[in-house]
Amino acid sequence: MASIRLENITKKFKNTTAVNNISLMIADGEFFCILGPPGAGKTTLLRIIVGLEKPDEGSVIIGDDAVNEIHPSKRDISMIFQNLALYPDKTVFENIAFPLRQQKIEDEEIEKRVVEVAKHLKIDWLFEKIPSQLSGGERQRVAIGRAIVRQPKAYLMDEPLSNLDALLRLEMRVALKELQTNLKETFVYVTHDQVEALSMGDRIAVLNQGKLQQVDDPAIIYRMPNNMFVATILGNPPMNFLKCLLRRKNGTLQIEHAAFTLNSEDKKVFSLLKAGVGATGIVLGFRPEDIKIHLSKPGTVSIPAEIYVTEPLGSETIVDIKLGDNVIKVLAPPDFVGEPGQSVWITANTHKLHLFDESSHECVFHATEKSAFTIEA
Amino acid sequence: MEQKLYVKVLKFFLIVFVTMLFFFPIYWIFSMAFKPFPEWTAAGGKIYWFPNNPTFNNFRAIFSRKLEMSPIAGTAIRPILNSLTVSIIGTAIAMVVGIFAAYGISRYKAGGNLPFMLLQLRMFPPIAIIIPIMIMWAFLRMIDTWYGLAIIYGVVTLPFSVWLMKTFFDDIPKELDEAAIVDGCSNIGAFFKVVMPLAKGGIASSALFVFILNWSDFLIALILTDRRWTTIPVHISKLQSAMVGALYGPKAALGMIAAVPPIVFGILIQKYLVRGFTFGAIKK
Repeated sequence: MASIRLENITKKFKNTTAVNNISLMIADGEFFCILGPPGAGKTTLLRIIVGLEKPDEGSVIIGDDAVNEIHPSKRDISMIFQNLALYPDKTVFENIAFPLRQQKIEDEEIEKRVVEVAKHLKIDWLFEKIPSQLSGGERQRVAIGRAIVRQPKAYLMDEPLSNLDALLRLEMRVALKELQTNLKETFVYVTHDQVEALSMGDRIAVLNQGKLQQVDDPAIIYRMPNNMFVATILGNPPMNFLKCLLRRKNGTLQIEHAAFTLNSEDKKVFSLLKAGVGATGIVLGFRPEDIKIHLSKPGTVSIPAEIYVTEPLGSETIVDIKLGDNVIKVLAPPDFVGEPGQSVWITANTHKLHLFDESSHECVFHATEKSAFTIEA
Repeated sequence: MEQKLYVKVLKFFLIVFVTMLFFFPIYWIFSMAFKPFPEWTAAGGKIYWFPNNPTFNNFRAIFSRKLEMSPIAGTAIRPILNSLTVSIIGTAIAMVVGIFAAYGISRYKAGGNLPFMLLQLRMFPPIAIIIPIMIMWAFLRMIDTWYGLAIIYGVVTLPFSVWLMKTFFDDIPKELDEAAIVDGCSNIGAFFKVVMPLAKGGIASSALFVFILNWSDFLIALILTDRRWTTIPVHISKLQSAMVGALYGPKAALGMIAAVPPIVFGILIQKYLVRGFTFGAIKK
């Protein structure tokens, strides 16, 4: 059991900076997810922690020891690779026993520990088989067995579920989460799948182009994204963005779009205008589930719009709605029925809106219950 | 689709014909080795397709020391041992150096352009370099020695072993080495415990390939050896007499013996060969 600390890690490959000045603190016993699109530097970061890559700058600290100069074999960290990297010519038993054999442990002790781990993972009846004779889920379990058998300080996983089919992935997701709950060990889990990150992680770090975007609890990172990138990568369908104008009118602040206007009297929004943010424009962000569609005009203030396309998904329906020149995605109940071109009215959770700076894409304002906007159609 | 009968028959005969065409020289060597003098010599103007009076005389002529009168009596034993010695040592040199070089090139991109330079080495016709080498070897007193020949065999076949082994190592996922390293192996430990066992097939087929190259070499052995360390191919060329010219019978006998080691070696490692030759073709 150990915590992992990264201090100002930078890694360059020729002309590209794979990891750019990243500092992270992963607590002991934490299920830590690293989320990012392909090429974000997630895997490189993981390989730096385990020692397969040397950082150009910065240091890796495991527990209390700086391990920059320590060979991966001596770091006492286990890793599950994306393609699992099971030894194809060795039996399941020998695959799991391999890390123990390297430690020159007595055969009886090895057998005892391998059997124990395999029983726990329900793969003890597969001992004599080789990896090519196993199913995807069984291979996954063997890889997990090989990782946990030597009880290391931490576990690193590089998209371990990405090669499995959808159903098995759901099953293994639960199995991994259960495993971590039982072991209470430090897990670092790399994924490009936001569902995995949100459902499994105690905390999530979002990475893009080698830079750390945000580190937080899943709930906070979903509710209060730092920038448009984080807002997009989490949530399916992703957050909607509308380009608006920010201006002052009659002592209130107005966020103006072709189809509607939002008013705010919050001081923080005023200070934005003063600071010159949004001089050219500001981006309004809101999640698909925070918009409600009405087929007839409701009593409250609502915005008239038009249905563009409906995508029924069984458990819910995604409705694409034309708002001015833009199309936004809205989540509706599964029994929603609507024809393209049909007129509808929408209302919004005005305390769940976000403002982003158009040029830097940084979030400049999260609305809250107290600082909710008012809609003007 | 079901094939018409005449297509099947045609195909069958075509295959038989081509097979016979390819195997005829081998058959000719084997049959000639057992023919008595009147049958293998061209002097009679008659071709014997089969040995009518099979005999071991050709073998006796080159192996037996009792036929004092014959200039070729008992001369074949030494070249056979010589060929085995230098080919095996040369193959060992090429394989040991080649395996480590190929692993370094495959995994650590060692040597920059070196792998391509190695390949370019093969584009030189051997005749262009063998005379300078002979002069060097003469200066080093390595002409007509087992080590002189074995070293040059190892060097000449090194590009093959490096490139063959490199393709085999490239086919083994790098994550396997890395998994082994993370699991507690040193870098070299990962190579011996995980990569080498997987590359067995590749190593076996490369070794056979290199061995056959060395075994069948004529030019290098002709120029770098003299009396004591002549090899089988060179000795075959020397089997002639003043009276009848080329001694085709004894030549065929020795040629047949020369064909044995590659075949035996090939059968021994057959299990790995199939795997080796189809290695890259299997989708993982």
